[in-house]
Amino acid sequence: MSRLWGEDSDALAQAGVDVASLAQLEDELSSVLVLDDAPIVDAHVHLGRDADGHNLTAHELARDLDRWGIAAAVCFPANDPGPGGQFTEANDLVLAAARSAPERIVPFCRVDPNGDWALELERAAEAGARGLKLHPVGQSFRPEADESVAAVSVATERGWPVLFHAGFGARRLGGPLAELAGAVPDARLILAHGGRGDARALAHEFAGESRIAFDTSLATVTDLAALSPGQLMFGSDRPYGEHASALHLIAATAGVAGWTDAEVRDVLGGNLTRWLDDQG
Amino acid sequence: MTRAEAARILALASQCEMALVRKDPVAAPLLAQTARAADGLAGGHTLAVAARLAREVDISIHEPARKVVQALTRVASQEAQAALLRH
Repeated sequence: MSRLWGEDSDALAQAGVDVASLAQLEDELSSVLVLDDAPIVDAHVHLGRDADGHNLTAHELARDLDRWGIAAAVCFPANDPGPGGQFTEANDLVLAAARSAPERIVPFCRVDPNGDWALELERAAEAGARGLKLHPVGQSFRPEADESVAAVSVATERGWPVLFHAGFGARRLGGPLAELAGAVPDARLILAHGGRGDARALAHEFAGESRIAFDTSLATVTDLAALSPGQLMFGSDRPYGEHASALHLIAATAGVAGWTDAEVRDVLGGNLTRWLDDQG
Repeated sequence: MTRAEAARILALASQCEMALVRKDPVAAPLLAQTARAADGLAGGHTLAVAARLAREVDISIHEPARKVVQALTRVASQEAQAALLRH
């Protein structure tokens, strides 16, 4: 059983899909991607099952990483807060996967700042979590709210980066995230999806700020090309996104923006690896 | 690819992406239209494969196929953006 464009090829074949042409297209794409000797690290992967039906197991992720020569991935739960509302079971799943593959899975925990998150964050830290994922749309909170600032502060005290959803959503993000970053001056924030939820404002607020990065998952060429490669971290958003188009996005942006080989290596994994290695 | 061709493909591909996310039945005919617009241009082959898949499989009920079509459409959209930005 193999994977094609992030999906199970057997399931595609059973539906009558011409898997040979899909495989050929994937091969053609991979031959032009910037996949040299640079170690690739994926900054944005959800393990487990989302309420909307998306699902990714650690085994499936391992096959995806192998297919695309990706060394490791930052993983956190999908939107599955569980009966207690604090992602306890979902965090456990990610932490167990990381214990089984410590070289490949970097576990971040996920909590809901609206509730009693502190105990869950501490429990996850003791079980090996190395960062925090927050989703203001999924958990309905404002980035600049007291409870959000408090969660980011505690994560920062632990030396953790905080990955913040900055994609789809109705509310503006530029001012609120700048307020959050100002309230926690040492916080290292990874704004997901190239900040496409409020791209112009976020680029204006954070251009050149070394403690603010943007992951490239499901981002656009236009938004990424406007940012410094020193602030970008490759991401896929598996299982909502997949690695073929995620890597193609890097190749397309590098061509447009004129990134050097060293800058491409930094985007693909160097920038994120330095942050993960510097955890205080 | 001219700037106008790239802008046309980007607009159509963006409509396709949203229709696919929303599982809207307009996705398959929109993809066919987009593939025609991109025929012979960068991303055209990818869109042709996506359009054929959406025609041959009911992507409103077959989730893996819908996700593959979405991925192919994303690649074509990236190609069109890159072409526009190079002009």
